[in-house]
This record gives sequence, structure tokens and C-alpha cells, in this order.
Amino acid sequence: MKSRSVTRSLALLAAVPLVLSACLGTAASPAPTAAPPSVAPAPSAGAPTPSPEVSGTVTFWNGYAADGDEIKTFTEVVLPAFAAQYPHVTVEHQEIPYDDLRQKLVTGLAGGTLPDVLRADIIWVPEFADQGALLALDEEMSDFAELTGGMFEGPVSTNKWGDHYYGLPLDTNTRVLFYNTGVFEEAGVSAAPTTIEELEAAMAKVKTALGADHYGYAEGGTGPWSILPWVWSFGGGITDEDLTAATGTLNGPGTVAAVTKLQDWLDKGYLSPSILGGGLATSEQFGNDQAAMILEGPWMPGIFKNQFPSLEYDYATVPAGPGGSASVVGGEDIVVFKATQNKEAALAFTRFMVSEEAQLAMGKIGQMPVLASLAGNAELPDYYPMFQEQLKTAKARTPVPSWPKIDEAVSNAVLKALRGETEVQAALDEAATAVDALLAGN
Amino acid sequence: MEIGRQHDPTRRRPRLLPATGALGPHRVARARRLIPIYGLLLPGMLLYGVWAAYPLISSFVLSFTDWNLVKPTSFVGLDNYTRAFGDPLFWRSLSSTLGYTVVTVAGQLALGLGAALLLNQRIPGRSVLRLIYYLPVITSWVIVSLVFLYLYNGQAGALNWFLKDVLGVIDQNVAWLAEPSTALWAIAVLGIWKGIGWTMVVFLAGLQAVPDELYEAASMDGAGTWARFRYITLPFLRATSTFLLVVLTIGGFNAFISIFVMSSAATGTIGGPLNSTDVALTYMWKQAFTEIDLGYGAALSFLLAGAIGLVSVVEFRLIRRQEAA
Repeated sequence: MKSRSVTRSLALLAAVPLVLSACLGTAASPAPTAAPPSVAPAPSAGAPTPSPEVSGTVTFWNGYAADGDEIKTFTEVVLPAFAAQYPHVTVEHQEIPYDDLRQKLVTGLAGGTLPDVLRADIIWVPEFADQGALLALDEEMSDFAELTGGMFEGPVSTNKWGDHYYGLPLDTNTRVLFYNTGVFEEAGVSAAPTTIEELEAAMAKVKTALGADHYGYAEGGTGPWSILPWVWSFGGGITDEDLTAATGTLNGPGTVAAVTKLQDWLDKGYLSPSILGGGLATSEQFGNDQAAMILEGPWMPGIFKNQFPSLEYDYATVPAGPGGSASVVGGEDIVVFKATQNKEAALAFTRFMVSEEAQLAMGKIGQMPVLASLAGNAELPDYYPMFQEQLKTAKARTPVPSWPKIDEAVSNAVLKALRGETEVQAALDEAATAVDALLAGN
Repeated sequence: MEIGRQHDPTRRRPRLLPATGALGPHRVARARRLIPIYGLLLPGMLLYGVWAAYPLISSFVLSFTDWNLVKPTSFVGLDNYTRAFGDPLFWRSLSSTLGYTVVTVAGQLALGLGAALLLNQRIPGRSVLRLIYYLPVITSWVIVSLVFLYLYNGQAGALNWFLKDVLGVIDQNVAWLAEPSTALWAIAVLGIWKGIGWTMVVFLAGLQAVPDELYEAASMDGAGTWARFRYITLPFLRATSTFLLVVLTIGGFNAFISIFVMSSAATGTIGGPLNSTDVALTYMWKQAFTEIDLGYGAALSFLLAGAIGLVSVVEFRLIRRQEAA
């Protein structure tokens, strides 16, 4: 269907030659993958007693979105509440677009102009911890165990690198199935698909009813964040449990089955070509009734409300395959840099950000809280329960410092396979070899 | 000061100078002449030193280390350079850079010259047209990259609509920025479009230097349009073309923003799809900011600088030889 005739003989293995010569860290210590949220009623990680004696300035980089309510809520609700408890601490909030945050951090690391506290993508924590840039919070905070005891285990685990925890979870999320109820009605699909078979049947109906340029499902790329829910649903993955090898998993039968299935859906026109890139955003296709289903995170309803006010949709967990219903854990952790000049104030602010008060305020606008005590809170958005349900089986991406390279290797391999340039098995074999080398480099 | 000086014995330097004192007044005069000049140059030189020379030197030093920000850094000798020579993706990015440069330089020269020749004619609305042709030059790279991103969209782009629904030359939408065979060239079209105006202005300036009498004389001798262009206009534009060739080549080698914005937005990967739009600068950027491997990134930047220098020298030589011939 696409001009695939032009072969790329130069298609090269993405990551093999880039193996870091430096010995990054020692043996990969397995950070536990996400576990179901603890159900035990945890003690409230609530507000510490006001400490007027703590003083100083804390800079905080966060990447909160300026186009939604995130920055507004943070500066107008959370910061004043913190100031009430710590009147002598000034928090310098710097507005940095999320996409620029990483580059800004690298520049900051290089130039010694880092913030004191950072809201970090969970996947960056092992990398920066491995660099030795972060404070081990389990050593610095005497109440660390008490604090984390009241949090969901999966998000907490993303802070572990080696033998220590380098941060606290700040917000969590995962992707669930959004389905366009208008399109479902038009295509005669009565209920959200719960299994891969039902999903395929629904996609077929959508294709028949709506035809060309309309798709059952849309995905925005071939990177792990995009494809892992399906890979896991088919029993595949990226590495083994110990994070030591990709061979046998990334090129194992489960992953091969998942990618083969995606290719099949793409060929049948069930899956939007946007997975190959260069097309419309999945949310745009969904909002324009061009795609019946997408996987999205808890920040999306707020955006849909503004962009497509008349859009009607509902949520379901990811349709289950042989490996069950699986999704990918996202979110952010809050970390403190070793270079901070004002450790006490930085830790006080960090502690406040995971307090019930701050978590609830940010939770109301799409930043899913990490506190077990807030699960089911009536003030939180009514769509959270579906995400919390999915989080029970959602898994984290491989928490290793070389993740950016692994991400690219997997993304390129799946893209080559879906484009039909390489057989699925061969593409994944190649990627597995590359990822093995990257993991050995850790 | 001027008045007090006469009464100030310490100012009477000539008397304090030894036998060669005869040179003294010259020296003083020279110093008096030079001090203000250097004084005025100093701020600029300081800025250059802090913002250009110092980073240049320190990144050169970096290129011999394994610096990755926080971990202890050690000198690794020429390792980064030898690694670059054995890095197929670096070579591929260099060859993409070369391809992009050849296409964009040729396109800008040809179309810029064409626009200059047409807009050098006495036609109504000439100034307005010149302004319109120049507008893309002063528009932000990020903005035009985003605009072209929409034009090239594989599901809703205007280019697909035009080629498929209007002209009927393709029967399937093409995701121009997601096809490894088209992505780089689609971005090169943007590079050409954005540069035509500037090339045109420089050519227009060159065309002003051609005396009208020459054209008149040639016409009387029976030279046609082509002969006048070939034997009068082109020789007069030689210096202008050399300047443009070198400057546009350096511009081509430094292509970054458009590729960075368009490849990451269209494929989720800088340099995507499948590294087909990775040019020297994007590859270097990824080494530094994605891989946090700054020593290697620094080494690549010096290899690129060397390549640009080499190409510029070759261009100058070729042109000089042509002139001599």
C-alpha cells in the first residue's frame, strides 16, 4: 500500500556501535517491576508539622504543562499551601516545557546550574542516579519507609537503582483503551472489547462500516511506550526478569506474535498508518471519528474537553491476550540533586509534594496521585478508577541507564518489520543482539 | 586632562627615555592612536573570547575525554576519533549531510538566480514581489518547519491532496516524512524554499554591478538573450556565486532545526525514520543530549568542522582554477 519498493540497503542497526565504552555502573540490580497497588489502608503521608525554622530558596523544575491547568494549579494552589507551612522557604518555580526539560537538565548537569528539586520522568531516574547526581532519599529522609508505606508499590519501585531509592513517586499513569462511542454505534459494536479476539471483531466492523481513511485502532509510533501493551498482552517483553538479556524475550515467540499481529492489522487497514509516523496524532484521529480506539493516559480527558467538546467516548482496560490485559506505567518521580545548596528546604518541599494536600490538588487536574489513601477519593476525576484498575497489571519500561538507546533500537526494529523491510523475526533478532550489548554495558 | 598635561612632568616621556628617545614621540603617538582602537575592540574581543574561543578550546579538550557530566572524567586519547571512523551511523549521517547540502545548494543557486533575473526586470509590483520572495528568509525555522509538517502529513497533508486529488499523479497518500526514501528530500525542499529569497537578494546586488551599456552594445552586435546572459551576466556574477556557494555549503552542513523539528514530530525519533534524516548535527546532538556522551559528541563536532573546512577549500580552489583557465 505504501511505496515500500524503495529498499534501504543501508538500514543499519541502531545501537550496536554506540555501546558506551565507559563501564556504566556494575551488575544490573533488578529493580522490581510494577506490582499491584498495595490495598492495605496505609498511614496518611500527610502534612508534617509546620517548620518555620527551615528557610532558604528551592528551585524546582517540573515540566508541568502550560496549556492545561497544571501550572495554574501548582502555582495557585500547591505553592501557597506550602508557603503556609514553610513561610521562610521560597520555591522558585521555573516554567520549562516538558519536551525541553531533558536538554535543559543535561546542560544544567554540565554547567552546574541544576535545580534543587526535579520532577523527573520515571525512566530518567536510573540514568541520573547512575550518574551519581541524585541524593539517595532513603538515606536522607528518616521517615522514608513511613512515606513510601502509604504509596502504590509500582510507582515507588521506579525510584530504585542499585541498593537505594533516589526519589519519591510524584504522579503515576498508564494507558487504557479509549473508545469512541459514536463510531462504535455506527459500526454496530455493542460493547468495549475485552479480548484480542473481540478487538479484532470490533476493528473489522469499523472498517466495513466506515471504510477507507477510518481505522479500528490508531497508534502513534513503534517505540516501547506505544507497542509494549500489545507485546505484553501476547506474553512478550523486552528483557528477561533480571534485566540482563533481551535475547529470548525481545525476539521470543510472544513479542514476535505481537508484532506480527500489528503488521496484520496494518495490512488489513484495521490499524491506522500513523503507527509508521508522518500522520495525524492519535488523539486527533480519535477526536475526528477517524479512529475508533486508542490507548491514552489520564491527562487526555482534559485535552479532549477543550479540543473536541462534543466527542463521546468511554474507557476500558486494554483487551487481554494470552498474557492478560497489560499496559505500560508512566509518570514522574520527585528527586533532589546532590548539588543542592539547601538540602533541608529541598527535602521539606519534596515531602510536601507527596503530602495528601498537594497530591489531591494536582490529582484533581489529571496528575494521578501515588497515595493509596486517595484511591477512590470523591474529589478526584471519575475516570481514575479505570486507570487504577489497569495499573494493577501495568508494567514499567526497563529501568536501566541505557534506556534511551534501547528505546531507539526497539522502535527501529519494529518499524522495519511493520514497513515490511525485514521479517519480524529477523528484525527482532537484530534488536535483541543490540539490546544485549547495551545491557552488558550497564 | 588635556590642559593639565602640559604641567605634569611625568607626562614628558621623551626626556625620560634613553638614547633612542628620538623614536619616543612616534611611540607615544602610535600608542595614542592604537589605545582607543583596541579599547573599542576589547569588549567585542572579550565577548568573542568568552562565548566563542573559550568553548571552542574547552570542547576541543573535551573531545579527548570520556566526559559524561557527573562521573569522573578521564583522558582517552584519540579513542573518540577512532570510534567515529568506525561508526557506520556517523558515516551515514555525513553522507546524508552531503546529499542534503548538494541538493539545497544547487536548488537555492538555480532558483535564487532565476528569481533575481526575473525580479531585475522593470515590471510592475517588483518591490512587492521581491519582498514576498524574501519573507521566508526572515520567518522562524521552527514555524516554517511546523507548517511544512502539515503540508507533508501522510493522512491530511495539502501536498497529498494536490498530488492525488488534483493532479492524480499518485494513487495513495504518501507519508512524506515517514518514508526513509523521501523524508530527507522533503526537508531539503523546505531548505531550498527558505533560502531562495536570500540568494536572490545577493544575486540582485551582483546584477546591479553589470553596466547597462554592455547589454546595449551586445544587442547592437546582434547578441540574443542567451548570449547576453552567458557572456555578460554570468561572468559578472562569478564573485557573487563563489561567495554564495561557500556560504550556502556551510549552511547546508549546519542544517539542524528543520530536521530536528520535523523528524521528531513526524516519527518520534530525531533523525527518523530509521536514521534516514540523521545529518551530522542531529547525530552529534543525540550523542550529547540523548546519550549523554559529550566527549564523543565534541569529537564529532571537530570532525565536521574539518569536513566543512576541507569542502570550502576545495570549492575555492576549483573556482580559482576555473578563473585562471
